[in-house]
Amino acid sequence: MRFAMRWRRSLVLGLAAAVFCAGSAFAQNVSLAERIQLCASCHGEDGSSRIEKIPSLAGQPEFRVLVQLILMREGVRKVETMEAIVKDMKDDEMDALAKHFAKLPPKPSGEPIDASLVRRGAVLAKQRNCVSCHLPTLAGQQQIPRLAKQRVDYLIQALKEFRDSKRSGSDTLMNGAVAGLSDADLTALAHYAASR
Amino acid sequence: MFNTTLCRRVLLVAGAFALTAAVGSSAFGQAGFSPIDKSNPATSKQDTGLKPHATPPTVTPADKLPLDKIKLPAGFKAEVWSSGHPAARTMVEGPKGTIFMGTRQLGRVYAITNKDGKREAKVLLQGLTQPNGLAIKDGALYVLAINRVFRYDNIEDKLDNPGAGVELTDKFNLPDTVHHNWKYADFGPDGKLYVQVGANCNICEINPGIHGQIRRYNADGTGMEIVARGIRNTVGFDWHPVTKELWFTDNGRDWAGNAGPEDELNRVAKGQEGAFYGFPYCHANGIPDPDVKKPNACAGVTLPAALTGPHSAGLGIKFYTGGMFPKSYQNVAFIARRGSWNREQKFGYDVAVARISGGKAKIEPFLTGLLDEKANTFHGRPTYVHQMKDGSLLVSDEQNGAVYRITYQAKSAGR
Repeated sequence: MRFAMRWRRSLVLGLAAAVFCAGSAFAQNVSLAERIQLCASCHGEDGSSRIEKIPSLAGQPEFRVLVQLILMREGVRKVETMEAIVKDMKDDEMDALAKHFAKLPPKPSGEPIDASLVRRGAVLAKQRNCVSCHLPTLAGQQQIPRLAKQRVDYLIQALKEFRDSKRSGSDTLMNGAVAGLSDADLTALAHYAASR
Repeated sequence: MFNTTLCRRVLLVAGAFALTAAVGSSAFGQAGFSPIDKSNPATSKQDTGLKPHATPPTVTPADKLPLDKIKLPAGFKAEVWSSGHPAARTMVEGPKGTIFMGTRQLGRVYAITNKDGKREAKVLLQGLTQPNGLAIKDGALYVLAINRVFRYDNIEDKLDNPGAGVELTDKFNLPDTVHHNWKYADFGPDGKLYVQVGANCNICEINPGIHGQIRRYNADGTGMEIVARGIRNTVGFDWHPVTKELWFTDNGRDWAGNAGPEDELNRVAKGQEGAFYGFPYCHANGIPDPDVKKPNACAGVTLPAALTGPHSAGLGIKFYTGGMFPKSYQNVAFIARRGSWNREQKFGYDVAVARISGGKAKIEPFLTGLLDEKANTFHGRPTYVHQMKDGSLLVSDEQNGAVYRITYQAKSAGR
């Protein structure tokens, strides 16, 4: 019954693919290959997402993916579609997934990138010192995510969540870093980051 | 599947138009929202690759704990008291001896109990937003996450099933801005619950009616009063055992250079409740802020009792009143310094002692060895201290999810 409810709710969310595959996550002893396949149904076979607001995982720092999966399992980072998937996963299973995605080469999402927004975003990024944590290439490091070639729509959503205190990273520095920025500023930052 | 993807792409294009249309809307005007972070990292002349160190969310195996690195003054000894509870931070003790432990990143509250001479740690609560604020009163555990407050009555009788608790969130009405707002909480000698609300930026003009304060409340969340103002980020305070005055640590701003401004140990002197401690205009022992400027920036500012080192991150503080340590440690404050991130040469990663004399204090090293200065690396991060009934001192290590117990035994004559 609970399962059916979850089905319906998720369909409403328009993320049917993930939940269809999530069924297998309830089974015991899921192999790494099966888990990767489940992730791929939303995050892309190559770790580069083609689905709106679903982040690409290819080339993400290994430790970053591990931390985020653990935080989702703990109920700290709340992503409804991910709940059933991470619920019973062990640390070492999450670690194996993190290692897998870290090795995949990141690719641009194919979303339109606005050159004037990129220029404006670059100025803002300098002011907010984004490269200090995310590195000059925006490839990320340790717990800090890769932003380069990330989906624009996902970046905009994440930045808004940080600004509006709806989400923290593994630290709250991002909440401070984007404090006071307008939606337009965040959109510019997203275009800039994705373009790198 | 193909159709779904196609559908997403169409939605995406529509979404992109919607976003373009939304450009220009603004986030200003929210109550309590500090307008803009004014830090200018470019002028700090620091390595721009500095970033907060990662906190492992996973268990550090017992044989990897850095016990052998820990150095203490003669006669003191450290042992691993408990481990296997990642992200270990605040510690409070229930009347029946349970140690409750708060975390930030992992959202858990642990309960650590004694079983057959060994410690058993279980996850008591989870899924909270940085439940760092814990306090005990009359057998009840108060849990303060960033955005929620709960009370669990008779908690030690229901460690296996704590239930939902009594939610006090609306009463306390704390702001939900998350940065620098993980809580520290403790009941004062006046029976009131003291709670801080940090500045929600590195450096900015804050709304002084909401941020940068230590407050006190009645235990039920009523009767809020502001005890101290102009505080950037304190996450540790305690009351002097003799004077009953409130002392608190405060973390200085980032991106103003490797030298500081240094972190602070402050005192709220009797009759000075509501005093202003300088943020964002004046730091440390009277340094005007380079980014948020104001004429006579340090006028009317209560300066610290002691400086506690550049970017050292002094967190937990407890005055020692136990019977185990030598007399010279009576009424000194132990301060856990979690260690720097916004500094090229690392600093801190230790427990210091503050020897109080009137309104001033002298800082001395106590627990060291977790920082390798030569290699510029660290082995652990002390976050909070707790005095046990037998007078021993617990020190939590957030990096390794462990607690060390410090004991003292005087060398007997003739040996």
